[in-house]
Amino acid sequence: MDKQLILSTMLQLLRGFEFTFGIFVFTLLFSLPLGLLVARGRMARNSVISTVVRIYISIMRGTPLMLQLLLVYFGPYYLFGISTGNAVIGPFNYRFIATVIGFSLNYAAYFAEIFRGGIQSMSRGQYEAAQVLGFSKSQTYFRIILPQVIKNVLPSVANEVITLVKDTSLAQVLAVTEMFTVAKALASAQVSVMPFVVAGVFYYIMNAIIEVSLNRIEKSMSYYS
Amino acid sequence: MADKENTDENILIIDNIRKAFDDLEVLKGISLTVARGEVVAVIGPSGGGKSTLLRCATTLEKIDSGKIVIGGQTLCDTVGSKTVYADKHSLLDIRSKFGLVFQNFNLFPHFSVRRNITEALIHVHKQPKAEADAVCDALLAKMDLSDKADYFPCNLSGGQQQRVSIARALAGNPEIIFFDEPTSALDPELTKGVLSVIRELAAENMTMVIVTHEMSFARDVADRIVFMDGGVIVEEGPAYDLVTNPKAQRTKEFLAGY
Repeated sequence: MDKQLILSTMLQLLRGFEFTFGIFVFTLLFSLPLGLLVARGRMARNSVISTVVRIYISIMRGTPLMLQLLLVYFGPYYLFGISTGNAVIGPFNYRFIATVIGFSLNYAAYFAEIFRGGIQSMSRGQYEAAQVLGFSKSQTYFRIILPQVIKNVLPSVANEVITLVKDTSLAQVLAVTEMFTVAKALASAQVSVMPFVVAGVFYYIMNAIIEVSLNRIEKSMSYYS
Repeated sequence: MADKENTDENILIIDNIRKAFDDLEVLKGISLTVARGEVVAVIGPSGGGKSTLLRCATTLEKIDSGKIVIGGQTLCDTVGSKTVYADKHSLLDIRSKFGLVFQNFNLFPHFSVRRNITEALIHVHKQPKAEADAVCDALLAKMDLSDKADYFPCNLSGGQQQRVSIARALAGNPEIIFFDEPTSALDPELTKGVLSVIRELAAENMTMVIVTHEMSFARDVADRIVFMDGGVIVEEGPAYDLVTNPKAQRTKEFLAGY
């Protein structure tokens, strides 16, 4: 096989990888805190809040992410007549922004359920011990509860993070030139599966790095059981 | 302050408190007063309301009616038909006046022994870290755990964990300590170490309320024993008298089991 062709394919895929990586980073940046918030809403005593949040989670988990991306992208125009085609934030066009919004909303729902499980698995005794020692609610949450929850949910979160890397390829539906979109274009231009294979290797390398890092974090938290 | 010398000063005043969970009334008008330096053991069958009494006194449960005063500050009081609790600020103050030792320790597993003890000192009582560390070292020495400061709770035996939790309860320099069945989760061997620590505290005139099933311990260490059953105090009196010569039929039946 032509080495030159493989090299140029790799370079072009790496350009697409910038977007893949961007979607990945921004999605985590927004969906993890949002997931924590959604989890709290889901556990809220106020039944209106908890019901609304429950429906949100149900829809996010029960419909295809690809469909959600399309709705975020086209929704503003078809629902409100707002033209988003030329909207930009900094260097990002609306295709990319809509992708990040769609991914974040979707992943927040999954993260929320993971966090909820982690928070609810905490024993009441931890809250009670903190209460009689005089810790405020937020001190209890951030010093006592959350650190333990993070350790408990890390394996499940790792699962979602790895899935997210592969899911970024769904952004092709909005014609974001992420790696998979580029691979598809190259494959049909070259009439070859080679670009797909190279893209697959890139996805795998990224996930391998994530896996090793998360394992390391997990290990660093294993000082107690 | 003159009242410091007043040995009759009451650290804990519980006046006619009632507490129900849904339709089940667990505390049916309990009154109990504990003087400074006094050790009171609360005994009785399971479901008699002992733990609920302790939980009400330590703000973990809210009472339906009655009055609780800790260290001279009113935690809650019923005025007319309404039971009013102290505001947030006073509540923090009241919580610093007592310590609570749980049956199953409830140590923070992600903190070292040292942090378990100093975390509240530093972040609630706003003590400098060096000062908190000094308090911690002194308490660990007292608990015979000086070499365990950097251990995590999971690496300690149950008895050691309970002694850490006693140290944690003592760290804030409380006026009274509540123990909720402190040895019920421990085997007899480990129970000894915990009981001897409590004995030591009693010798230092620490004010304590101890819910316990250790009858001989209660008899030897407590000044007074309160026998609870069915949500009421059936009988109370000097520890030795109550154990050796109970008056009420129900108390006799209960003690016969030991």
